[in-house]
Amino acid sequence: MSTVVGVVGAGTFGIGLASAAQRVGNEVVLWSRGAGRALPNGHRATDDLRDLARADVILVAVPSAHVRELAARLGEHLDGGHLLVHVSRGLAGPGLTTLTEVLRSATPCRRVGALAGPLVAESLLRGDPGGAIVGTLFPEVAEAVRLAIAGPSLVIEHSTDVLGVELASALVGILTVAAGYAHGLGLGPSALAVLLTRGMREGAEFGARLGADLRTFAGLAGMADLVAAVANDGRPELSLGEALARGGSIHDAAKVAGAHIEGVTMARLLVDHARRSGVHLPFLSTLTQIFQGAVRPDDAVGALLGGVRS
Amino acid sequence: MLESLSEHPLRLPRLRPYTAPADAPRIFQFNEEREGIVQEVIDRIVDPAKLSDARLEPLLNDAAFHEVRRLDAQRDAEAAEALPGWRLLVRGIGRMSDSEKRRAMQSIVHHMAHDIAGNFDPRVYEFASKGAPKLLTGVLQPSRLPSTLLMGESSSVDSLVKVQGDVQRLRALERRGTLVYVPTHSSNLDSLVLAYALEQSGLAPVVYGAGKNLFTNPIISFFMHNLGAYRVDRRIRANVYKAVLKTYSSVMIERGFPSLFFPGGTRARSGMIERHLKLGLMGSAVTAFAENNVRGEARPVYIVPTTINYALVLEAETLIEDWLAESGKSRYIIVDDEFSRIDRWLAFFRKVASLHGTTIIRFGEPIDLFGNPLDEAGRSLSPSGRPIDPTSYVRTRGQATVDAARDEAYTRGLGDVLLRRYREDTVIMPTQLVAHLLFRRLVAMTPGVDLYGRLRMRGHARIPRDELARELVVARDALLDLQARGVVRVSPNLANDPPHELIYRSLSVWNGYHRRVGARDDGQYIVAEDPTLLLYYQNRLVPFAETIAPEPLKAAGREIGTLEAMR
Repeated sequence: MSTVVGVVGAGTFGIGLASAAQRVGNEVVLWSRGAGRALPNGHRATDDLRDLARADVILVAVPSAHVRELAARLGEHLDGGHLLVHVSRGLAGPGLTTLTEVLRSATPCRRVGALAGPLVAESLLRGDPGGAIVGTLFPEVAEAVRLAIAGPSLVIEHSTDVLGVELASALVGILTVAAGYAHGLGLGPSALAVLLTRGMREGAEFGARLGADLRTFAGLAGMADLVAAVANDGRPELSLGEALARGGSIHDAAKVAGAHIEGVTMARLLVDHARRSGVHLPFLSTLTQIFQGAVRPDDAVGALLGGVRS
Repeated sequence: MLESLSEHPLRLPRLRPYTAPADAPRIFQFNEEREGIVQEVIDRIVDPAKLSDARLEPLLNDAAFHEVRRLDAQRDAEAAEALPGWRLLVRGIGRMSDSEKRRAMQSIVHHMAHDIAGNFDPRVYEFASKGAPKLLTGVLQPSRLPSTLLMGESSSVDSLVKVQGDVQRLRALERRGTLVYVPTHSSNLDSLVLAYALEQSGLAPVVYGAGKNLFTNPIISFFMHNLGAYRVDRRIRANVYKAVLKTYSSVMIERGFPSLFFPGGTRARSGMIERHLKLGLMGSAVTAFAENNVRGEARPVYIVPTTINYALVLEAETLIEDWLAESGKSRYIIVDDEFSRIDRWLAFFRKVASLHGTTIIRFGEPIDLFGNPLDEAGRSLSPSGRPIDPTSYVRTRGQATVDAARDEAYTRGLGDVLLRRYREDTVIMPTQLVAHLLFRRLVAMTPGVDLYGRLRMRGHARIPRDELARELVVARDALLDLQARGVVRVSPNLANDPPHELIYRSLSVWNGYHRRVGARDDGQYIVAEDPTLLLYYQNRLVPFAETIAPEPLKAAGREIGTLEAMR
C-alpha cells in the first residue's frame, strides 16, 4: 500500500526522508522555503504549504527553533485527519515544552509523533540498514511512518512514552557534542565511556522525574542513538564538540560544524529548568559551562570526571 | 429491609403510559428507549465481529473468577442469589460449545446491563426540582415552611449554590449537540449540586453513573435512581463489566443524552484540585462520536469543564483522614462517611443555610472532544480561529472509523486539557484561603518538620488577628492578580468582603459544622487548632502557594507547593 508522504524542509535530513519515501514506492510532496534551487537526488520542492494538505503523513524536518512558526503556517491548511511527525532532536522551550506539544498547539492536528533514534541523513539517503523509533500515543502514526519510509532493512519501532523519546533525543544531542569535545581533548575510550554514561544517567533520571519512562533512555531513542553517534556516523554535533575542545568559541565552532546545532541550547534549557524545580544536575551543568566557554578545555576533564579519576 | 430498598429502589407505579412532550429534555424519553438501549449494548458486546469465539472463554473465565471472589467476600443476599450460577458456569465452561459460551456471555451482559441501567421518572424530577429546595428549607427552618410553600418564596437553597459561567452559551450548544459535563469531584453532593445548577440555569438534566455506594440510604437511593443515574458497581472487577459500562455510556451519548462524568474517578481525598484522571468512562464520549460518524451522523459532542467549589465540604474530615492514612490503607470506596448519615446532612445544611455563596459551580468554556475551542454556532475552531470539521479526527484515509487505540489516545489528550482547565476554573473560597494562611504560618514556624509532625502540632501556630487580616489582603491581591491573568478564579465574597469578616465567617463555618475545631479566636490570636482540617481546605491552593507567598514566607509557600507531588 502506498501513501502520500509530505516532507517539510529540504535540508539534508529532509532530503534523506524524501529519498527513503520514494525508494519504498511512495509519492512525496517536498516543501522548501526557497523552492527554486536544485536539490540532490532529483527531488523537486514546492514552496506552497497548501500542497502538503493532500499528504496522509507529514514529516517536519526543520530545526527545532523553526518548528513553531512553520507549524502555525502549515496548520492553516491541515485538519484533524493529518498525521504530523517531527524529526528534530530538540525541545521547543520555554521550559521543556516538547515539539509534539508545539505541533498540537500550533495546528489542529492531534495525531502527532516524534521520530528519533540512530537515523542519520546520509544513511537514509543511501538506504543503509538501520532503525528508528516513533514516539506517539497513536499506533496509526507509527504505522504511517513505517509505510512512509521503512523498508526491509529499516526498522521503525513504536513507543508510547512520547516525553521520554523527545527528552532522550535532546539528551543525545547534548551528549554527542560532549563526545566530540572529549575526542577533541584526546580522551580515550574509557574516559569517554564514563563521561557519556554519567550524562545519560543524569539526564534519564531527570526525565523520569518529569514523567518519562527510564527504559526509553536505554532504547532506540537514547542509548542506540548515542552509540551510533560515538561510532562516528558523521553528525555535525561531533565536529562542533571537537571545535570547542580546540578552544574555539561556540559561534566559531558552529560555523565549522555547519548551521543549526541544537545540543548546546538544549543543555542550557535542561539545566535551567532543573534549577527552577530545585533539582541539581551536576554533570549537565558542568557541560553547559564548558560549552559556553566558562571552563577551559584543560580544566574540563577534571571537572567532568570529578573525583573518579585516580 | 432498608438495605433492600437501597439496593432495589422503588419505581413509582405508572397508571397511564407516559409520553414525553415534544419539547421536553431528552432524558424524559429515557424510559421508552431503555430496552432498546440495553439491547444495543448487548448486541454490540456480543457481536461476533467484535468478540471472536477465541476470546469468549477467557472473558467468561475472567468474569467468573472475579465475581466468585467478590461475592465470596461479600457474603450477603446478592452473593446467596448469584454465587450458585457462577459456580455452575465455572464447572461447565470447559464443556461448552462456542454458541453455548456466546449465549452465556449474552446472559451475563444482559444481567449487567439491566443492573446498570437507570430509570427516569418525570414525576420525581418535578418534585425534586420544585419541591426539594422547599423541603430543605423546611428541614432547616420548620417554622418557615408553610409561608415558603404558600408564597412560593425563593428558598435559601438558591443562595447556597451560585452558578458561574456562560449558561446562555451552553443552552445554545445543547440544541446543536450533546453536552458532556466533566466536573471536579470533592463530595458526594457534587452530582446533586450539578443537577440543581442545571435546573436553575434552564439546562437539560443529565444522565450519570453513580457509584452504588451512593445508594446507601433509601431516600437518596430513590432520588438517584429515578433521576437518570445509572448504577456503577465499583466492586466489580470483571473486564466484561467495564466493557458493558463503557458501551452503555457510549450508547447514551450517541443517542443524545446529556451526560456527566467525574474524570477524577473518585472524590479527591486530599482536597487538592485533580492531578491525575481516570479516563475510562470519559473515553466513551469519544467512542460515541466515532460511532455516530461511522453511521453517517455527525452529531457534535461538547465537553464542559466544570469546577464545584465549596466553602464547606460535607465529608472533609473523613476524606483528609483517608488521604493521610498509611499507604495501602487508603480506601477507594468509602461507604460509611458523612454522606450516609442523616444527622451530618442536617448539620451541614443547617450551617450552610446561614451563609451566602457557600457553593460555587463554575461552568468553564466548552470545548470539543479534541480540546478545540468552539464558536457561537458550536463549530470547532483551529488554533488560528478557523472552523474545522471535528469528524476529520475520526477519519482514516477519508473514512470515519472506530479505533479503540486512537480514541484512547484522544481521551488522554482531552484529560491533559481538562487538568489545565480545572486549575484555571477553580474558584478559591474564603475558608480555603484562611486555612492556607494558618497552615502556611505553621510551616514557616516549623522548618525541617515533616507533614505528619506538623499535623500533630495542634494549637501551635497562632497569628494576631490584625496580622492575619493584613496577610489575607496581601494574599487576596496576589490571587486577584492571578485571576486577571487567567490562572485561577476568586469567589466574589473573597474578593469583596472585609478581611476580618472573612476570617470570622470561616471560623464559624468550620466550627458550626465540623466536629473538629479547625481554628479558634482566643481573643487576641487566631489559633490553628487542628492542622489536619486546615490542611484539607488549604490544599486547594497548593498549585498557587509559592506564587502568592510574600518574600518572607516564600520558602513556606514553596514547601506547601511540594504537596502536589504527594500521592
